Amino acid sequence: MKTLSSTRLEKAEAYLTEYPTKRSALLMVLRLIEEEFGHIDDEGMAIAADLCEVTTAHVQGMVTFYTHYKRPYHGKHRFMVCATLMCALDGNTDEALSAIKAKLGIGPGEKTTDGLFSCEKVECLADCDRAPVVQKDNEHFCSMKGEKLEGYIDGLLQSEGKSAADYKNEGPVRMDSRVQTLPVHFNFDGENTRGARRLDDKDPYLPPRNTTEKPRG
Amino acid sequence: MSDDKNTSNAIPAAATPEPFSPVILRHIHEEGSHTLAHYLARGGYETAKSKMGTDPQAIVQTVIDSGLRGRGGAGFPTGKKWSFLAKGTGKPIYLAVNGDESEPGTFKDRHILEKDPHQLLEGVILTSYAIGSHHAFIYLRGEFILGYERLQQAVDEAMAKGFIGKKIFGGDFDLTVTVVRGAGAYICGEETGMLSSIEGGRGYPKIKPPFPAVSGAFGCPTIVNNVETIAAVTHIVKHGAAWHKQWGTEMSPGFKIFCLSGHVNKPGVYEVPLGIPLTEMIEVYGGGMRGGVKLKAVIPGGLSAPVLTAAQVADVTLDYESLAKAGSMLGSGGITVLDENVDMISAIYNTMRFYHHESCGQCTPCREGTGWLEKLAHRFHHDEGREGEVDLLGDVAKNMRGRTICVLADAAAMPMQSYLQHFRADFEARVKAASWKERTRSYKDEITPKAKASAKVRTENP
Ligand SMILES: Cc1cc2nc3c(=O)[nH]c(=O)nc-3n(C[C@H](O)[C@H](O)[C@H](O)COP(=O)(O)O)c2cc1C
Ligand code: SF4
Ligand code: FES
Repeated sequence: MKTLSSTRLEKAEAYLTEYPTKRSALLMVLRLIEEEFGHIDDEGMAIAADLCEVTTAHVQGMVTFYTHYKRPYHGKHRFMVCATLMCALDGNTDEALSAIKAKLGIGPGEKTTDGLFSCEKVECLADCDRAPVVQKDNEHFCSMKGEKLEGYIDGLLQSEGKSAADYKNEGPVRMDSRVQTLPVHFNFDGENTRGARRLDDKDPYLPPRNTTEKPRG
Repeated sequence: MSDDKNTSNAIPAAATPEPFSPVILRHIHEEGSHTLAHYLARGGYETAKSKMGTDPQAIVQTVIDSGLRGRGGAGFPTGKKWSFLAKGTGKPIYLAVNGDESEPGTFKDRHILEKDPHQLLEGVILTSYAIGSHHAFIYLRGEFILGYERLQQAVDEAMAKGFIGKKIFGGDFDLTVTVVRGAGAYICGEETGMLSSIEGGRGYPKIKPPFPAVSGAFGCPTIVNNVETIAAVTHIVKHGAAWHKQWGTEMSPGFKIFCLSGHVNKPGVYEVPLGIPLTEMIEVYGGGMRGGVKLKAVIPGGLSAPVLTAAQVADVTLDYESLAKAGSMLGSGGITVLDENVDMISAIYNTMRFYHHESCGQCTPCREGTGWLEKLAHRFHHDEGREGEVDLLGDVAKNMRGRTICVLADAAAMPMQSYLQHFRADFEARVKAASWKERTRSYKDEITPKAKASAKVRTENP
């Protein structure tokens, strides 16, 4: 079971007293969880729910509504490329996306098989005079294309002990594990191969669990 | 003064009694402009200090007299909004400063937050004092990382100095300032959506009335203002209403920050008196069209503002009335210049994708309408528009307006309607030659099991 470190727990307590209701501290408490564990997963959500005295269902509702929280299905390095009009003009967004694709082999909505890098399109990042705008987790970059972006990715690759060649022959995987067609063992009796999601599967973002499970039906 | 505007030719300041130089953005290029030391050295917090213990109503009256209008998009007179505040409810009053800045094409609040956060805090103190609020929230979009750090640092510094907290400036007024980080939702820029988010929920807008000034955050009277509005309050209270009114026009007094993006030589933020011609903004401040390419269209007030054609651009001035008369709006002040090479159909497709993605989904006309507009625009984008669909676009847009909880639906419909009005020919050129009826027939004929299996599904829009 994960727990928050004592400094973050203190900070959370400070939020809980500063905000008029415990529930209203939730946005900031989720940020603490994100900071502590690198992303917000089921356990993180449960901690936030306990602290803010809301149901875990409410917390799940929050993290699925707000797109900026880092979730387990994002890569360790999460690229967010602005795709709104002002950045998309003159193909700036596409240039940034293709630089990422060239180095890491991933396009929007995808991540590398090792889960180190993911890429997604996001909406206006409020810096439209210097397109394209790209964020990598908590880092913000303007005019991020061409050599500047490539150099930055090279630096990241180096820090991970990887090289662009490692991703050359590896197909990307979809970042979001909500696959359109679920594996057959997810289906109930009588369902076709395009069957529905398992009813007891709490988080659609979790990877399919226990694939050795005896296929149903 | 306002009448002089139209006769001024190149430099806006020449026609005004005092030459205009940037007010809110004056210090942003200076080293360390975000620190308390820098702010104090230029007389920071003195206005707030001097106003403590005075009549709060006098501050409200100054802001009413100044004619300041909200800089967040709607342009509602700020002083008037404050005077709508429900009084004597026995509930706490909240101030919520809107720093969500999610309107595409807008990047002015970012500069205030990152480079001069203390003037915002002084405005927060003055506003809170004027409206009798002891707890102010500043809501920042989650993507503002440096802005959050700098603002939080500024709050901590001001707190250490006793400018905010208990008994501020040694008087008897208490003020807590809380910085809230959002997490990536355009709809949290809408005032009631932002309040829902501050309350710790999904950013769902609420039906109005009751307006936030009567029942806002936590069911208590709440004043919502944009970051730039509050920053302007600092200067208005310092220099007085008459000082503010010397610039601008009769109905749009003062100055405003415009965010220039797109095909100009010098995109960026420019703080100018209201009422200057749009062409001056493009030619003088923006340094003209990039590469000398001809102008095609301008989106004058953030992505939600109806688009203006090159012909219209020549006549409008940058104030609330002139743009409204031209059928658009000043909005948040995000001006995007599009040159002749821009494909207006892909521009509207991109725009519709934005609204579909950002609709919160509470209202059917908005949730479904934005989706329809996106899908239809997507077809035109791929030269596959069908006969009658140009009208269908207009029909869907028309039926989205005025039927929803918040105005995001209108914000999506308005650009679509304006594109249809001004660039209808572009849409028609992208209608596939064959009529829809013929195409369905041929499609049905084609559908053999083999064709079905090999039919590719477009997945370009993850
Ligand atoms: C869909 C939508 C998005 C909005 N986004 C913002 C925003 O990002 N920032 C902002 O200050 N106001 C935004 N507004 C306007 C606010 O609802 C509100 O009018 C404003 O914050 C009031 O402040 P003001 O009177 O100082 O302008 C938005 C409105 C709508 C309908
Ligand atoms: S109009 Fe759209 S964004 Fe606004 S409340 Fe309704 S569904 Fe949500
Ligand atoms: S459109 Fe990309 S930052 Fe605004």
